[in-house]
Amino acid sequence: MTLHAITLPIPVVQALQVLTVLITAPGINGVIARVEARLQGRRGPRVLQPYFDLAKLFRKEALAPIGASWVFLAAPLIAMTCYLTVPLLIPVLTTFPLPLAYMGDILGGGFILALASFVIAVAAASTGSPYAQLGASRAKTFAAITEPVVLFVVFTVALVTGTDLPYALAKTVRASADQIVRPAHLLAAAALFMVILYETGRIPVETHTGTNEFGMIEEARPFEHSGPYLALLRWGSTMKQLILFVILINVFVAPWGLASDATLVAVGLAILALIGKAALLGAGIAVIDDSFAKLRLFKITEFVSAAFMLAVLSVFTLYFGGG
Amino acid sequence: MGPLAEGVAAPPSSYAGLTTGLAVLMLVIEFGMLQATLLRAQVRLYAAQSVVISILAVVVAFARSVPELYGLAAFSVLLKVVAVPLVMLRLLRRTNQEIAASRALGVASMVLLAVAVAAFGFFASARFGLAGPVLPAATLAVAVAIVLVSFVLMIVRRDVVSQAIGFFALENGVSLASMVVAAGLPLILEVVFLFDLLVAVVVFAVLIRVHHEQAESLSTETLTELRG
Repeated sequence: MTLHAITLPIPVVQALQVLTVLITAPGINGVIARVEARLQGRRGPRVLQPYFDLAKLFRKEALAPIGASWVFLAAPLIAMTCYLTVPLLIPVLTTFPLPLAYMGDILGGGFILALASFVIAVAAASTGSPYAQLGASRAKTFAAITEPVVLFVVFTVALVTGTDLPYALAKTVRASADQIVRPAHLLAAAALFMVILYETGRIPVETHTGTNEFGMIEEARPFEHSGPYLALLRWGSTMKQLILFVILINVFVAPWGLASDATLVAVGLAILALIGKAALLGAGIAVIDDSFAKLRLFKITEFVSAAFMLAVLSVFTLYFGGG
Repeated sequence: MGPLAEGVAAPPSSYAGLTTGLAVLMLVIEFGMLQATLLRAQVRLYAAQSVVISILAVVVAFARSVPELYGLAAFSVLLKVVAVPLVMLRLLRRTNQEIAASRALGVASMVLLAVAVAAFGFFASARFGLAGPVLPAATLAVAVAIVLVSFVLMIVRRDVVSQAIGFFALENGVSLASMVVAAGLPLILEVVFLFDLLVAVVVFAVLIRVHHEQAESLSTETLTELRG
């Protein structure tokens, strides 16, 4: 029996989708930090540094502020569960939908990601620490204004494919090169990219270096968590980043290199292709991180309004038959 | 690759996609002018928009064999990409003003207003049912949206330079519309339009200089003060 003939059972492929995201997510963060440092002329941390950080945090003791409720301790676990669920719904490794893939559409995935962000915000609010609460309230405020952008991107997908399933759009994009260069698709992808910059807390919205400063949004929320709980939150945020990258890459921009059957070789190549594409996107984001200044907090609305404009124009061009 | 699933919208042909894409890029640049705070950045955005419309003219001329448009492209590169921005930048250098004066609205609300106005333009021009011989109908909608957003730019921003640039950008929108409706318009007419623009540049240049000499600023807010 040659290597090519080995076919993995479908449940194993499904588990591999989740495991790939779980295991490679911190590494992508490492790649971004490394590239960013190289561009600044520094040597930078090892690519594997995020794993060592997580291992260190898992060995530390966990503390909770006095008066914090059970939500404080449950939130990291719930958030992690959410981030482990979403990779089931999106095309991480395969072109063909896996059995659980149609549990939810893009909106369903969005709801699960929003639930994770919500429980973290509630946990931050329950600590009584002003800093964590500030981060939580900012995160929710700005999430409310990025939501319309995501909605209009979903409308674009719906107008193009007649459905809002991620697999359907990926299939449409793969069908012909014309689908990628159509103006509506480019505009929607650009809007989604801007939302991803916001959601992953990158420049120009937020600095991602872990220093404490007043402009922090996402990074301020786990301020009171420590030990394994903090590790779970950190790991979760890298997973959220990789999930959003996968949506952009494998659904919108470059859905190639995915496995079209369940053979071991195809799935293995798909994992490597995903890591490569995500690292490339991460390098691109590192370039943005190094070339722009952080926006002042009150300027973030301008950034989001630009994304909103792109998403709305994309729907318009589709609706009036031009895109 | 299997056939497309039910309900999948067929992509436009690569010619339609490219031309609509270029037109939409002009509209996006127009929105960039709304956001630009540095006056020099605004002039550069105008030059970029003019580059895009020149490329669009060349694409149409090549793909639909309308040789007049090569001439139009050459003229608009000379005038709108080189001459007008140079004149504006020289004026700006002389006034020593770099940052645009206050606006009537915040940037985010300005963009939302412009999106609403552009939506009106899209819906209104869809009712015309005008499809040009060489460009897809959607580009006409984009042209109308560019004209309307230029109006927003001129109304909402309170500095003479933005108002001049808004006027020039409006001309870009109009010449895009003329490419859709009458691509084969005699070249002499197109050139007349462009020289019209040149007259506008001279008028605005005089306006900017006189206003700056009298008010020591480029903001038009000072014009509302009564002079005895």
